[in-house]
Amino acid sequence: MSIQEYIVETKNLVKHYNKGEVKAVNGLDLKVKRGEIYAFIGANGAGKTTALDMISGVLYPTSGTIIVDGLEIPRERKRMAHMIGVAPQDVSVYSDLTVKENIMFFADLYRLEKAQSNSRMKELLGVLKLEEKENELVRNLSGGMKRRVSIACALIHDPKLLLFDEATVGVDPVLRQWFWKYFKELSKKGTTLIITSHVMDEAEKADRIGLIRAGVLIEEGTPAELKEKYRVQTIEEVFLKLAGDEFINE
Amino acid sequence: MSDIDFTNFSSSRMLTVSKRVLRQITRDRRTFGMIIFMPLLIMLVFGIALSGEIKNIAIVVENQDTDTSEAAGIVIKNALDSDTRVSLKEGTYSSAINEIEDGKLSAAILIPADFTTNLQQKAAGGPDVTLEIRIYIDGTDPLIRANIMAALQDALSDALGDQGVQFDETLAHDGAEQSGLDVAIPAVMGFVLTFLVLLLSSLTMVRERIGGTQYRLYTTPLNKMELLSGYVLALTFFGFIEVVSILTISVFLFGATVAGNFTLLMLAAFMYAIVHVLLAVFLSNFAENELQAMQMVPIIALPSMALSGMLVPVDSLPVVAQNISNFVPLTYGIRLFEGIMLKGFDLGNLWLDFLKLGVFLLVFFVLSVLTVKDHNES
Repeated sequence: MSIQEYIVETKNLVKHYNKGEVKAVNGLDLKVKRGEIYAFIGANGAGKTTALDMISGVLYPTSGTIIVDGLEIPRERKRMAHMIGVAPQDVSVYSDLTVKENIMFFADLYRLEKAQSNSRMKELLGVLKLEEKENELVRNLSGGMKRRVSIACALIHDPKLLLFDEATVGVDPVLRQWFWKYFKELSKKGTTLIITSHVMDEAEKADRIGLIRAGVLIEEGTPAELKEKYRVQTIEEVFLKLAGDEFINE
Repeated sequence: MSDIDFTNFSSSRMLTVSKRVLRQITRDRRTFGMIIFMPLLIMLVFGIALSGEIKNIAIVVENQDTDTSEAAGIVIKNALDSDTRVSLKEGTYSSAINEIEDGKLSAAILIPADFTTNLQQKAAGGPDVTLEIRIYIDGTDPLIRANIMAALQDALSDALGDQGVQFDETLAHDGAEQSGLDVAIPAVMGFVLTFLVLLLSSLTMVRERIGGTQYRLYTTPLNKMELLSGYVLALTFFGFIEVVSILTISVFLFGATVAGNFTLLMLAAFMYAIVHVLLAVFLSNFAENELQAMQMVPIIALPSMALSGMLVPVDSLPVVAQNISNFVPLTYGIRLFEGIMLKGFDLGNLWLDFLKLGVFLLVFFVLSVLTVKDHNES
């Protein structure tokens, strides 16, 4: 069996609310290649999170198909669970557990061997610069640290697909820079990352960018391709050209 | 507080705060609905439950004094028959004893064959005549015992006036006789368990759901049954701690009687706690926030108190309330706790109540399974 080029493929993906009155995602066709960093950008309310939730199997689509690594989602979502790591927009970790307890809780959900999870946790605490906070209650940590804990929980089982929803929101520029360096390292090792963002300069660091507007993919390409196509200097300008009205109307 | 300053008190600022709080509460429709609905429901249930006096206590009266149609025994039995406090069942004194020991009857009264004869002799001034009625009575509920005795006294006084009748009284359950406190403890235990287990479990469940962490669990291999069982196991552990502490306080501090098997009592309390953990897991689906979850507890616990026999015996409730009490877990909790603690009952006497509690457990488990979510449904 040949390995498919795309790890994620959605076809005519639709999610409607209130009997079709609200069209959060409205016919999304998305193809994400293995090992790439795919930035999914759009204004607030454009449908990024809804699309990501459907890909991760958390939200069932109204219609359309989702294939993740050959598995049909949501039907085979529990088979997919071992291979994906999700860091939601809200820092969803347990604030009354320590950093270590949070990470080990997720390790146990993936039923990792004790030795394996211990060494993996140590590695992640080092990479994410959390060693000194290992036994600290999450509630006592800063926003940036909480986000790092959330990312560590998503990475504990070494997934091949990472879905990060606004992973760097509220993070200071230094830490954001550092996050992207780490994302590149993961990508080099073969991990695919889909990262939603409404911060345009972040998207420039991705391998490819998908621009979503009103639940539809309106443009896609590498940062260089997009800038060249619209004859602008930054992705922000591309975004403003394509989605500016919507942004202003919000 | 040192910085309290009434000189700069602004009533408009005060009203701004009040208006904001009122707006928030009224905007939370469920909370607002409960503010209106809860007093109505609770007052209605308590009003119905407490409206009746003690009545329909099941007793057997065996009257052997039937020589003439005007025999005193017949008059006494008729007077008891028309007394609403008691309800006369068919049976003999000796057959009723077993039923009293099984908790199906509260008392058996035997009026001897020579009762009228002795009465006449006594009235004629006969020297050594004793007028005696035999009673076999459940002494584990002072309220019920007092009502039976009062009904009998009234019947005697109606029929005979003051004739100095003596009672040969035997207490059931090996002479078990309880004080008001003894009798109250099993019911209070049931109520406290209901209240605390529901409160802790529903708050935990709602906090888990609104905390945003459940979203993440949906993306892991954790399935519905694992998630539900995990919650139930953890909450049951706390239920168990509550059972142990309630029993310890009841027995060691208040000196509650445990006439029956302590392990069986623990088992009953533990099973009762699990029923309420599952009920809380199910009900928490209907609470959007912790305030709503907290309000659900009195909505269940207070009507349970009124309808379970905790305040007045179930037999004394209006028929509608009696029917509803069959669907209240506390009814069976109290029966089990009272049975084991006061009457020394074992599984032989209590299997049916255990079974009914088991049915609740199963129903709430199924409802929890059906409503627990493993993905976002919106």
